[in-house]
Amino acid sequence: MKQSTLDIAFDQEKKFAGYCRTGNFVRLKKTTPNRLPHYRKLVFNVIDDTLQTAYPLTFGLLTKPEWKELVNDFFGTHNCQSYQVWKMPYELYQYVLNNRLSIKQKYPQLLNLLLFEWMEIEVFMMEDIETPSFKTSGQLITDDLILNPEHFLLATEYPVHYKKAKEISAADKSIYYILIFREPQTGKVIFIELSVLFAWLTGQIKTTQKSVYQLSKEASKVFNIPQQQILENSQSFLNELYQQQFILGFK
Amino acid sequence: MNQFAGIGFRKDFANEFLEKKLLHPSFIEVAPENWMGIGGYWKKIFKQVAEQYPVTLHGLSLSIGSDDELDWNFLHQLKSFIKEYNVQVYSEHLSFSKCDNAHLYDLLPVPFRKEAVKQIVRKTKQVQDFLEMPLVLEVVSYYTPIAAEMEEHEFINAIVDESGCQLLLDVNNVYVNGFNHKYNAYEFINKLRLDKVAYIHMAGHEQVSEDLIIDTHGQPIIDPVYDLFDYTVQQLPHTVPVLLERDFNIPEMEEMLFELNKLENICQKHWKHETINA
Repeated sequence: MKQSTLDIAFDQEKKFAGYCRTGNFVRLKKTTPNRLPHYRKLVFNVIDDTLQTAYPLTFGLLTKPEWKELVNDFFGTHNCQSYQVWKMPYELYQYVLNNRLSIKQKYPQLLNLLLFEWMEIEVFMMEDIETPSFKTSGQLITDDLILNPEHFLLATEYPVHYKKAKEISAADKSIYYILIFREPQTGKVIFIELSVLFAWLTGQIKTTQKSVYQLSKEASKVFNIPQQQILENSQSFLNELYQQQFILGFK
Repeated sequence: MNQFAGIGFRKDFANEFLEKKLLHPSFIEVAPENWMGIGGYWKKIFKQVAEQYPVTLHGLSLSIGSDDELDWNFLHQLKSFIKEYNVQVYSEHLSFSKCDNAHLYDLLPVPFRKEAVKQIVRKTKQVQDFLEMPLVLEVVSYYTPIAAEMEEHEFINAIVDESGCQLLLDVNNVYVNGFNHKYNAYEFINKLRLDKVAYIHMAGHEQVSEDLIIDTHGQPIIDPVYDLFDYTVQQLPHTVPVLLERDFNIPEMEEMLFELNKLENICQKHWKHETINA
């Protein structure tokens, strides 16, 4: 078989796929007139619907033409790698992150918002992580704690977790810490805003496996806060995390 | 419990599948891409449902018809999933959904050409060897042929003969294609390798213009499609599982039950002394 003959089927497929991704007209061999646009419409609708469902806050923030342009540019130029359509929206976040897009200047909160919305999906859907065995009774301050492993600690520059996206302005720029985790029994995703001290403490509990009492000495130096004050403030914070099942129990 | 007719597992009706108040499908079908590698709430539910019903898989992302090489990472995960849930049927679409290393998340028609047959046969054999089970390929609906140099049934039969795969006969697709491309759906079915049919799908569609039907899976099955199904069942040399598909405009449970029962009754009418052969 000649190479030219071999190539026809796949050359036509590539042109067809390109048309479905961009909407730019192509001429294909032996097609039924006026039928190709149905494919562009069907393919684009899947992408657009999936992204709107994944990013309802971002969809509400952008104007309709801005949203359409973003989705169109993303799908037309980015090669989607996930075979699971529910993971495809993360690739939109990566696309916005890695490309110079004027829309990021207009909406400085855009990247934070996309990541925040994606994290809810990610935490809800991610594979189960085995939890080490733990005791259900103990002291939150002095015992070593077992944390819910199905969590992320997110740092953002804009308060996308509590303020309407359209009302966020440059004046809101700061550092915000959001703890996102999956409730073990229900699978529900919980968001808790953390102060910088508690974000640091949470990270340290996870990585050093020291008790809060042990960590409070170091925290006192890092944040220049008396150790006793840290311990007093930590008690109610730890109680809340325990009730919400972020702290599962004790080693 | 039905003997032949199953239904696509839907999150909307998860409790109904667990409580079995109305629906009694003989099996459930899921897209592996939607259930592999997940955890949390839906993993728990799926495990419970899979303990109660046999599971068939209907894939979306294999893209058997494109020039891209197979995704071995996907296939490894798929094989584990098949083993975990003791899956007996893995079907996919005789189409392409990935091109130039980019997923399209929809099913596009493959040119009916010899070079496409050759490529599909090669990839199908690779999949079958790796999964250690036959691949069941679906006759897809399409709205235009592209660069065809052979008849659709010749294309399908060549792939079946050369790869050793089995066929998923979507009766609604054949009806839709017959309407859209002006051929006789009954004659088309007679030209297929019916001894290789391992699975049947049934669904609704939507006529969007005088000469075009879109395969939406969003409407009730119409009587001419039931008639074609009744005919097909009589032509098959053996029994197969039959799936009711409904992906959009999800109706009340009673309507789904009506359609499921109707399919089961047609199967029972013709296959009452048979056991399922899948």
